[in-house]
Amino acid sequence: MSANNDRDRPRVLVAMSGGVDSSLAAALLKEQGYELIGATIKTFCYAEHPGSSKTCCGLEGIADARSVAQRLDIPHYVFDLEDEFTRDVIDDFVAEYAEGRTPNPCVRCNSHTKFRDLLRRAQMLGCDRIATGHYARCERVDGRVRLMRAADRSKDQTYFLWGIDRTVLERLELPLGELTKTEVRRRARQLGLQTADKPESFDICFVPDGDYRGFLAQRLSPDHDAFLPGPITTLAGERVGTHQGYSRFTVGQRRGLPGGFSEPMYVVDIEPQTRSVLIGPADALEATRVTIADQNWLADPPPIGSAVSVQVRHRGHEVAGLIEDSGAERTVIRLHGSHRAITPGQSAAVYDGEVLLGGGRIARERRLLPIAST
Amino acid sequence: MRRTVYLDYAATSPIRPQVRGAMGPFNDAAFGNPSSIHAHGRDARVAVEAARRRILGALGVSDGRLIFTGSGTESDNLALLGFGRRHPDARIICSAVEHKAVIAAAAALQARGRQVHSIPVNEHGVLDLQVLEALLSAEERPTLVSVMWANNETGVVQPIERVAALCQARGAILHSDAVQAMGKLDFRLGDTAVQMLSLSAHKLGGPKGIGALVVCGPVELEPLVYGGGQESGLRSGTENVAGIVGFAEAVAVSSAERERESARLHALRDRLEAGLREALPEIVVNGAAAPQRLPHITSISIPDVDIESLLTALDLEGVCVSSGSACTTGSVEASHVARAMGLDGDWARNTIRLSLGWGTEAEDIEYVSATLPKLVRRIRDFTARA
Repeated sequence: MSANNDRDRPRVLVAMSGGVDSSLAAALLKEQGYELIGATIKTFCYAEHPGSSKTCCGLEGIADARSVAQRLDIPHYVFDLEDEFTRDVIDDFVAEYAEGRTPNPCVRCNSHTKFRDLLRRAQMLGCDRIATGHYARCERVDGRVRLMRAADRSKDQTYFLWGIDRTVLERLELPLGELTKTEVRRRARQLGLQTADKPESFDICFVPDGDYRGFLAQRLSPDHDAFLPGPITTLAGERVGTHQGYSRFTVGQRRGLPGGFSEPMYVVDIEPQTRSVLIGPADALEATRVTIADQNWLADPPPIGSAVSVQVRHRGHEVAGLIEDSGAERTVIRLHGSHRAITPGQSAAVYDGEVLLGGGRIARERRLLPIAST
Repeated sequence: MRRTVYLDYAATSPIRPQVRGAMGPFNDAAFGNPSSIHAHGRDARVAVEAARRRILGALGVSDGRLIFTGSGTESDNLALLGFGRRHPDARIICSAVEHKAVIAAAAALQARGRQVHSIPVNEHGVLDLQVLEALLSAEERPTLVSVMWANNETGVVQPIERVAALCQARGAILHSDAVQAMGKLDFRLGDTAVQMLSLSAHKLGGPKGIGALVVCGPVELEPLVYGGGQESGLRSGTENVAGIVGFAEAVAVSSAERERESARLHALRDRLEAGLREALPEIVVNGAAAPQRLPHITSISIPDVDIESLLTALDLEGVCVSSGSACTTGSVEASHVARAMGLDGDWARNTIRLSLGWGTEAEDIEYVSATLPKLVRRIRDFTARA
């Protein structure tokens, strides 16, 4: 029988959230002549969360993505990845808070749902590659793929991408990597895409009202340790107050701590076993090392002694360092100088110049205070 | 070139050329309102009444009314709600595999205090007559039984003659949704004690937006729509004249072709099932062991495959089929029909429906028989790697 797809053209699946970035990504790929398929990932049941339509993946997002796909004359589907998203992202989010860490669900979503699961679905549909509207670049040199920072450094999203599989990278297209956000909006307007001027979303998509504690309380039992009172203790071991649940705290936080100290105090650690929130002065937040666990490498893991840079939060600067220890379980990076509020559970992305090498979750240090910073 | 194979005739069908031709004038010069007394109105009235007689004639009904409605769903609603509102002490009995139009209307009546019973079906999708008999003998009050002539997901034909005999013996009114059966089965309503019958034009190659409820005998109904009193006061509103004319034409064409066309579709459907079974021996054809199925529908459960991906992959290869009921955002839910037949969660969810019609040709069947197994294997292949 006659084959339906002209297999001389690669079949590419583009993830379309309904926002301007993925809309333009789709438009650019269409211009490049691929056989293009649009898909919007449905990550949780919108019917149960009517207030969520304003976020990028709500029902409005699906409708916007659909109408952009129609405009581009490409088929569009909704992929129900609710089970996978709940398992890999939401359950992890809840478990991490329960452990007194501060998770980054967007990284988890990228590591699992948005790339790995999407690629699997795409391959089921006979697609050779997947594409997204992330600000990052895929550079193919000598048959190897490197993930690079976006040309527009202010929009660079590689920090969120350290956890994707290398096999995904080989099949990934990132058409926005060379563009600035302003250019993206301008070109989207030129193409008449209705999403050109859509505002960006910053919320955690499954906690649209920002009330993540309410969300946690629904998922954990209300009498979980994370919501029960516990001691606020200084690093010297002095109990200086009682908190109403360590889930309210994150490393580096000042708000909600008792006053009356000679200098401002910050959360420096959370111990879920004793429900303790440890506080200390600003310099107690300074760390000279980052230890990462649950690591993933997009390139060969950097050997001990190699110079890298590491980024520990989204809009944060990268810090230069040296690989001090490297193993299958953990990698320790010694920083040049010290760095503030390295938060357990958050992501550390490791770079060699513009190239994202990989990263991991920041592990809790046994001892936060360098005894004597030499 | 992209090939498209449309195997979703049970959802809707393309309009037949003859139907389009018959409707043409009524979308144009013959625009009158049948209620007007002037020439335009009279012409329209003549067309509507001729259409009514044609459809009743095709059904073999000499002594009955036909109320034009907007859809098969509206016809079902008129039958159930019309009866239930007329009789405050009404009892409604319907099968577990009815169309949602019947199930939801019955639920609405239940919420208003009417007694509602559901009759289970066996593993082949056939109604349990003993349960119906027991329910009918239990009580003396106005009772409406609603049993579809043939199921829209599996094509399984219900033993309507026997249901009708039970209803007649107990003085119950019988309504049957014949939206899928019309044009496929040889039913002469005059021979069967069915008092109400729901029909729809667009499954027959007619236009969308037009249905009918045929009412035989002394059935008292409350209207759902009030106004100018059209359609014997049961469905006010200016008649959809072009739709009505097209409906009658579709009934006439499909009745004339019925015997030959049913045999042709039956053979194609059997070939499709045989082809799929050969390539994928693990599939189950739902209702295959029922005494009778409609010739053009097959319901297939495929184990160990992501059904959403399969439907999408089929669409990408130009094959249009359907699954169980779809939710607003386009994801797939398990079908209540498959569940009622005792299929467990995964099997029920992993069910697709392929339905043939007047435009289906042998090469369509060959294409789908070759394409579908290939896609199933590809999806399984990538599932296994996860």
